[in-house]
Amino acid sequence: MSLMDSLAAGLSLVGNVEAFFMLFCGLVIGVIGGAIPGLSATMAVALTLPFTFSMAPINGILLLLGVYKGGIFGGSIPAILIKTPGTPASSATILDGHPMAERGEAGRALGMALYASCTADAVSNLSLILFAGWLASFALNFGPPEFFALILFSLTIIAGVSGESLLRGALSALAGLLLATVGLDLVYGTNRFTFGDPNMMGGLNFIAVLIGLFAIPEIIAMAWNPVAHLGRTRALGKSKCTLADYLGSFKSIIRGSMIGVFLGSIPGIGAAPSAFLSYSEARRTSKNKANFGKGEIEGVAASEAGNNGVAGATLIPLLALGVPGDVITAIIIGAFMVHGLQPGPMMFILNVDIIYGLFIGLIVSSVFLLLVGSVAIRGFKFVADVPKRILMPGVLVLCIYGVYAVNNNIFDVGVMFVMGWVGYIMMRNRIPAAPFLIAFILGPLLEDNFRQSMLMSGSDPLILFRGPITWFFWLLTAITVFAITRSTLRKRVPLS
Amino acid sequence: MSEKSLHLRLGIFTSLFALFLVLFAIPTFVFAPSNVGNIILSPLFWPYVLAGLTGVIGLGLLASAFKPGANVPFEDEEGTAHPERAAPWLRLAALGVIMVLVMFGLPRLGMVWTAMLAFAACAFLFRTRHPIVALVCAVIVPLLLYAFFAHVAGVAIPQGNFVRLP
Amino acid sequence: MKLRTLGSVLALGVGLIAGPALAEYPERPINMIIPYGAGGATDISARTIAEPLGSAVGEALVMANVTGAGGATGSVAVQNAKPDGYTMLFARVGSHSVNPAMKATLPYTLDDFRFVTVYEINPVACAVRPDSGIDSMDALVAKVAEGGVSYSSSGVGSLLHLAGAMVLKEFGVEDPLSQATHIPQQGGGAAATAVLNGTATFICTNSSALASFVSNGQLKPLMVTTAEPVVGFDAPTANDLGKPALNQLVGWTGIAGPDGLPDDVATKWGEWMAAATEDETFRSTMEARGSVIELMDPEEANAFILEQYNTFRALVDELGMRIEG
Repeated sequence: MSLMDSLAAGLSLVGNVEAFFMLFCGLVIGVIGGAIPGLSATMAVALTLPFTFSMAPINGILLLLGVYKGGIFGGSIPAILIKTPGTPASSATILDGHPMAERGEAGRALGMALYASCTADAVSNLSLILFAGWLASFALNFGPPEFFALILFSLTIIAGVSGESLLRGALSALAGLLLATVGLDLVYGTNRFTFGDPNMMGGLNFIAVLIGLFAIPEIIAMAWNPVAHLGRTRALGKSKCTLADYLGSFKSIIRGSMIGVFLGSIPGIGAAPSAFLSYSEARRTSKNKANFGKGEIEGVAASEAGNNGVAGATLIPLLALGVPGDVITAIIIGAFMVHGLQPGPMMFILNVDIIYGLFIGLIVSSVFLLLVGSVAIRGFKFVADVPKRILMPGVLVLCIYGVYAVNNNIFDVGVMFVMGWVGYIMMRNRIPAAPFLIAFILGPLLEDNFRQSMLMSGSDPLILFRGPITWFFWLLTAITVFAITRSTLRKRVPLS
Repeated sequence: MSEKSLHLRLGIFTSLFALFLVLFAIPTFVFAPSNVGNIILSPLFWPYVLAGLTGVIGLGLLASAFKPGANVPFEDEEGTAHPERAAPWLRLAALGVIMVLVMFGLPRLGMVWTAMLAFAACAFLFRTRHPIVALVCAVIVPLLLYAFFAHVAGVAIPQGNFVRLP
Repeated sequence: MKLRTLGSVLALGVGLIAGPALAEYPERPINMIIPYGAGGATDISARTIAEPLGSAVGEALVMANVTGAGGATGSVAVQNAKPDGYTMLFARVGSHSVNPAMKATLPYTLDDFRFVTVYEINPVACAVRPDSGIDSMDALVAKVAEGGVSYSSSGVGSLLHLAGAMVLKEFGVEDPLSQATHIPQQGGGAAATAVLNGTATFICTNSSALASFVSNGQLKPLMVTTAEPVVGFDAPTANDLGKPALNQLVGWTGIAGPDGLPDDVATKWGEWMAAATEDETFRSTMEARGSVIELMDPEEANAFILEQYNTFRALVDELGMRIEG
């Protein structure tokens, strides 16, 4: 079958109103679901899954993909407006998005988040269509040693989000690494810091920690000084994201999309590290470096490009290998199987119409996202105008519901509260929260992959340097560490 | 507050915490089976590495506290003498109590009623200028969220032992 | 802990007040706890049966994923729930026979639950990469003797972990723990990927988790543990290979309540399940995924699980796999 035939076959599958309607519905559900903290893109996809059982395969899958993509963008709305990431992937967006909202530029930040998301989405979808086979076979070269080297490199992001003091950033990261050791040991299954509580055996819930660290300290700070916000403009105002803004950040958006595509095509990393990596790369190369973390629009663009760039690329291992790249695609793979479709190399031969139908749907989804997103921004705009002393109790209640809903566990609400106080103490002591979060995500991956490598090699550390991919990341890590050290020393305020 | 005093405080705390981890917490709360073949595979290895790094950072913070030029106060610091004296501390404590009560109330009263009380309590703790609106919101917001989570998203929101919602 | 005691006293008090005017069970929605994450085998099985089961029950079933610690977190939530039939658990082979057999530290035992049914059996298959040069179980065992063989699992105390050791042991490997390396991964998807990318040599897991890889030619099945061949798996059964003892090694999904679940509730569940498993859509969906629908009543289910537990427990004790810390 030639390309044109395949395209025609695909078009005949999706060339009906129903398929596009499902995609559109999915995006709407996703944006709303993503915008509700705790519900998150993952939950939204899981909740939509049962509805797809009775649909035609292509419609069901497009619905789920719509939810996925909408959810990843939707998460940035509460991240910007109320400093609560709607989905873990949007935690990097807080760093600059929320300060912008505080400055009365929520509209500009949201606009940029949308445009960056759509651009990255389009780049990601194109990479999926053009390079799926190639990227997938590359991803299959990633065993534990390669992961270890990649994650070690990713940890250097911490320097980029540490803010004014590298030492305090490192302190924050270590706290995150330590907290992530709670739970059952991977290799031996023994208890680590669980204190015999079954709720802690699974480790602390990531979303509870995330929301506790970012949203709750705001509420506590409100109790400390309820009138601190008065006199500051918070209203959405007339601020809009202009073409100049977009073009100014275009390089970061494209770079972020590439990072997203790369990390998305490797199973097991996910969107949050990608957003942070894209953010720290943008900061490193930007001429407005000093303004990052204080409301720099390029930071918002980079983070959103980083997380949406993942959304299309996670389908690469899914379609080409049948391997889910993250939790969300693991759910989506369920939808394939229910319909008797078995993702993998054979699917490109047996079900080529579905593959091309998906491709067509994906390309359209970027455009739909732009439409749905602009409506959503207008819809959620009012949040910025709610008096803050009524908004904050509302945020608290929303967080309680949301964090409970993640795992149907009241214990997680407690984790969120405790982390809230930890976050508040960190805030008062000028310790940045972002390194904590990155370390909390990457720490277990680093440890697990290290130990898996050791198991593979019978404890021979040389396996960590086993091939070109590992060498590449070791080199990258060395260069980055060198650059960080040099720039800190140069600032004449060493290590502070 | 200057960087010197902040880093001194953090440094002392971090170093002591690292000691606490190495001497007490890790041996007591991390379990390793007796048949671990290699020390680097032991469940204890990573926690000890982290504890060691914590100690290094603690010492680093202490060292940076004693370097010249650290004794400059932060620019964006709010004044140390708070105009309200002890009131902020009382409010913090009150918020802490609210959170503890929420944890106590969730399984017993149910999430909706607890959330209503928490909303109202917080709004008044923050001395809102719109008390009526706050009360109305305190009732409506948890109910709306309940309707959404329980009936749209299908989440089993805790109902408590007293009044059940449909 | 004090809080919990106080809570249960309070709850008891309220229960007494609300008192005996118990209407016909069920009079309100039933919470169904799934102790594994969305998209996993348990989740899909649970959500597929929820449809016909809901219409049999006549009340809504509220599905709740409570994940963590290999199914322990969700199981504990049901263990601590009131045994009134309004909180039920989708129990799975990992959470209710492998875990109790392997983990001394598990906060529950089989006695804390009352099983009302087991409705689904999943055959287990072992597979390797086609280019590994291993084409039969004998070749795999020979390779183990050479050394350097490893198997992946979805974590310590998972079915996959035990299955790898049990299969090798059954095929004559004296000490599978030291002769082959167990490389745990985070979750079933990662475990299959580990074999695909060469991190581990083989994997033994539910056939449904391997079906797509096998049909795509990415993995080669070596055997299935059931007596009957599995559709789509071109591999001998355990009985063909003369190892009928491996028939015990199958996955299953069932429904359990807390211990102390009243008899009439258990009976009702038996009736509902009989009706639900007759549903044509349910059957075809599950069978397309490679499961065998086999309905057991409460007694059969208890006996089945206990037998499997005892087999696993004996193996764990023999190999010294029990986790004490």
